[in-house]
Amino acid sequence: MRERSATLAAAESLARQGAIGAAVAACYEALAIDHRDPLVRALLAHLMLEGDFYDEAITEATAAIELDPDCSPAYLALGLAYDRRGGMSDQSVLVWHELAEVEEDLVTAHVQLGEAFAAAAFQDEALDSWKRALELDPKEARATYNLAIASLKREGMALALPLFRKAGELDPSQDELFFVLLGVRDRPAEPVDPAAVEPNREARLAAAALALRDEDLFTAAELVRLTLDEVADDPQALALAAYVYLKQEATNEAMACALRALSIEPTLDTALYSLGVVYARRTGLNRHAARVFIALAKQAGGQALVHVLLAESLLGLQRYQQAGRAYRLAVRLDPACVRARFGLAAAYLTEGRYAEAQWEIRRAAYYDTKRQGLFWRLYDRYTSGGDV
Amino acid sequence: MPEDLPAPATAADAREGVAPRRVTQFPVGVDYYPIDAERASYSEWYDTDVAADFAAMAAARISLVRVFVSWKVLEPQVGQYDDAVADRLDAVMEAARAHDMRTIVCFFADDRMAEMNDVTWARKRDPRTDDYLLEREISLVQRVVNHFRTEPAIWAWEIGNEAFFAGFASEDALHAWALAMRDAIREVDTARVIVFGAGAETLVRESGLDVRPTRDVFEYGVSRVTAPYRAYAAEGPLTYGPATYVDSFVLRAGGVAHQVLADGIGVHTLDVSVAEEAAYTRTAMYSALMNRASGVMLRRWRDVETERREPYYQDPFEVLVGVNDVTGRAKPVLAEVSRFARVAAHIDLRRYTPVPERAGILVPAERYEPLPSLAGLYDPRSCLQAYIAAKEAHLPVRLVSEGEDLDGLMALFVPSAAKLTMAMWTSLAAFVQSGGSVVLSYGGGDADPAVRELFGVEFLGDHGVRPVVSCRIAQPGLVGDLTSFDVRLDVPHYALLGSGGATVVATDATGSPLLTAHQYGQGRAIFLAAPLERAIAQSDPWAAPDAIRDLLRTVYGSVARAAGAGPIIDCDEPAAEVALFQGESADIVVVLSHSPVPTTATLTAERVVASVTDVRGGAAADVGSKAFGVPLEPNGAVALRLTYA
Repeated sequence: MRERSATLAAAESLARQGAIGAAVAACYEALAIDHRDPLVRALLAHLMLEGDFYDEAITEATAAIELDPDCSPAYLALGLAYDRRGGMSDQSVLVWHELAEVEEDLVTAHVQLGEAFAAAAFQDEALDSWKRALELDPKEARATYNLAIASLKREGMALALPLFRKAGELDPSQDELFFVLLGVRDRPAEPVDPAAVEPNREARLAAAALALRDEDLFTAAELVRLTLDEVADDPQALALAAYVYLKQEATNEAMACALRALSIEPTLDTALYSLGVVYARRTGLNRHAARVFIALAKQAGGQALVHVLLAESLLGLQRYQQAGRAYRLAVRLDPACVRARFGLAAAYLTEGRYAEAQWEIRRAAYYDTKRQGLFWRLYDRYTSGGDV
Repeated sequence: MPEDLPAPATAADAREGVAPRRVTQFPVGVDYYPIDAERASYSEWYDTDVAADFAAMAAARISLVRVFVSWKVLEPQVGQYDDAVADRLDAVMEAARAHDMRTIVCFFADDRMAEMNDVTWARKRDPRTDDYLLEREISLVQRVVNHFRTEPAIWAWEIGNEAFFAGFASEDALHAWALAMRDAIREVDTARVIVFGAGAETLVRESGLDVRPTRDVFEYGVSRVTAPYRAYAAEGPLTYGPATYVDSFVLRAGGVAHQVLADGIGVHTLDVSVAEEAAYTRTAMYSALMNRASGVMLRRWRDVETERREPYYQDPFEVLVGVNDVTGRAKPVLAEVSRFARVAAHIDLRRYTPVPERAGILVPAERYEPLPSLAGLYDPRSCLQAYIAAKEAHLPVRLVSEGEDLDGLMALFVPSAAKLTMAMWTSLAAFVQSGGSVVLSYGGGDADPAVRELFGVEFLGDHGVRPVVSCRIAQPGLVGDLTSFDVRLDVPHYALLGSGGATVVATDATGSPLLTAHQYGQGRAIFLAAPLERAIAQSDPWAAPDAIRDLLRTVYGSVARAAGAGPIIDCDEPAAEVALFQGESADIVVVLSHSPVPTTATLTAERVVASVTDVRGGAAADVGSKAFGVPLEPNGAVALRLTYA
């Protein structure tokens, strides 16, 4: 365990709370006590990175590494600063390569290494890095998106599209969309007990939604079944049933339930979602999927992912410009939507707009790495001497 | 303005649509570096077919060329000058003279290839501070100036470039060195212009040095978007969004008291497509013309031939990209340059003057504070976003440093500043009292007590970070045509406000004031409770929520127009920048699209426009109304002569 001064501890605490200004001031106080402390330098690098001040982050991270060549959080900050700053892919390759060796299980290091290789036009090395990332974590969406982009560049959209779909399925935000449409944002504090649910439609459907949010498909299915036993044509219940089937890969049943729900309530957004997703998963039904997602966009136009789903179906129809417009709208609604960023990059590539495509990929990496909060994982491991 | 450039075409020529061969009042120039290949030795300094290059430049309507002195080759031994090598500079001047072009001779430049200041006999002494080397530098400068004292091809001397200045460790050392060089030149040549070759805004970013006092003692300055500055201020696509405004922002930061050349026009890396390079360069050149530059200088004549060293091809140096490829073949950007030069030549800047800027964006003094203060990092970005909002509102706008005289301004925007000096608050109060309007967005921390009196609000505290900005209109129409919205955007601060006499124009979702307006003396003071400019800058400026950008430009535009700082020619397209040059019998309007897609901007004048003509000539189009449409290509620009009924 590395010893830390009280000032550094205060700086850490402030940094974890997101109080960048106060944390920077505390770091400078800590530097006044010991200007050779790599932890302070690494923390400063992270804070500068949080403010998107890349040159300052590079300076501090480099200083930290000079003080301690094993300072892995500093490598992370340095690599991210190089990538986000742009135009420094050669230096970035070296940093990610180093970090991938020091922290072998750090999936992001391999993904970033691949992106740095790709930016420096080393496609084979990039592919190897992304494949290595997927070996470590088969659900790593960004590595899959990058493979899709690489496939698009080499083989065209027809072969890249399945990879984009696969990456989309790995993206957990799609389920989030369903729950936003359903109006259930948070997971239940405790598992839903079917026996405790009041025997009326509203209570059962609300409990089923919560159970779905908690990924308890059996409870949800049971509650939906009880509702449908009483009223077979309840569109809300049918829409929930469609989603349950969808999660169980029973696409025919999901389609049947969603269609039935929509025949009763044609604008029901949750049913539109399930039907659109089913169509999108089945080969040759992109036109249907696009129509359903257009209808969904009318119902829930403020949700970025709706436009992403529409754009993906348009990609399948080779309507790249329209797809690009839908992706751009999604990015406007949610700049942090990694899926939209990669999709937009694909749309740009089909138009030969390589620099803009590269920019979207970099922004996707930006938001993805910001979301992950890797710095603190490495920082805590480093401060504990590698025991975390 | 260069006084001794070749005679301009006559106004009659311009009316006839005859493009002058040379741009005199708004020169288009290029940096002509001595070496264009990484494998070349420093000794190959201008050892190329200079005459052919100058002929090609002349054909492209380039009228001004910056050439670089190499101390290393000219003085290989202490006090011993190599006359044979010096002849190469004579050849450069001869080539310039042959094509009736002018040069800027730059003495101490670092291009990271030609080792121009790396005199072997200096050992490890610093050429910026060592007294002995300073003597040798003065000797070199005076020798060159004396040699060329009657050379008509030289328009100006430049003491050094930004890369060289960035090596200074202190402002005092830089000031002393610059004055020594200036005085050394003046001892020999009292006539020619002396240029300070660095922009204050970019140099403070790169080196932390505030060189404004040094810059102010020179007649001419430059503004140059360096690679580090671009990475800091607007790293992203070059053909839309903030990147298309950075050049003019940095130019405006050059101050109003100076002639400023928009320098270093062009892209920084070779991984940009030639189409993007051309589009970006077009935008930067027109921006310079529209924002009071004295001319434009392109970044480089020819691409650098980099070594194909494995595994890394790309080089981070910012001087790599020229307007010709490594074989000397012209890239599409050179055609853009020629077209621009032709347009600029048709705008007689003695007959047409830009409309005065009555709106200003305040650059706070805290911007020059070093770390750990973050103001130096946040403020320039906030100011850039404010500048973009003002441009999108079509306001003629300039940047004003804190402490600068506010005379001539009618509206002032203070974007997201954390603190202002007491003197500035006093100045702001006097400004508003006498009829000016101020828009100030809260920048975090404790609000100054002056806020209460000036803005009529009681500061109750900082609510801190908010992930959503909500706007509910309480007083429709009071500050422009605002609409209610809820959008996701992280704002770092939110001022909780109590009543102090101001009118609440808009609130957040809970009723806490978001926008207030207060009549103070003869003027109006508008308070925004959140640092929206900083929030845009620190989130994703290329994907900022439309509602927030609409709010900012509506507030800026409405307040400025009400204060008499609005545009003379209005426009309905935010992405179109409009600049008006007023003449006696006609005006010239230049419209530049900051969008990568085709668009049509509708311009609305105060008077009925009789006809519109492209400044380059052609048939006049009758208008007969105050409004007319201007189709714009992606990143396109047009310059039109307007006559009025």
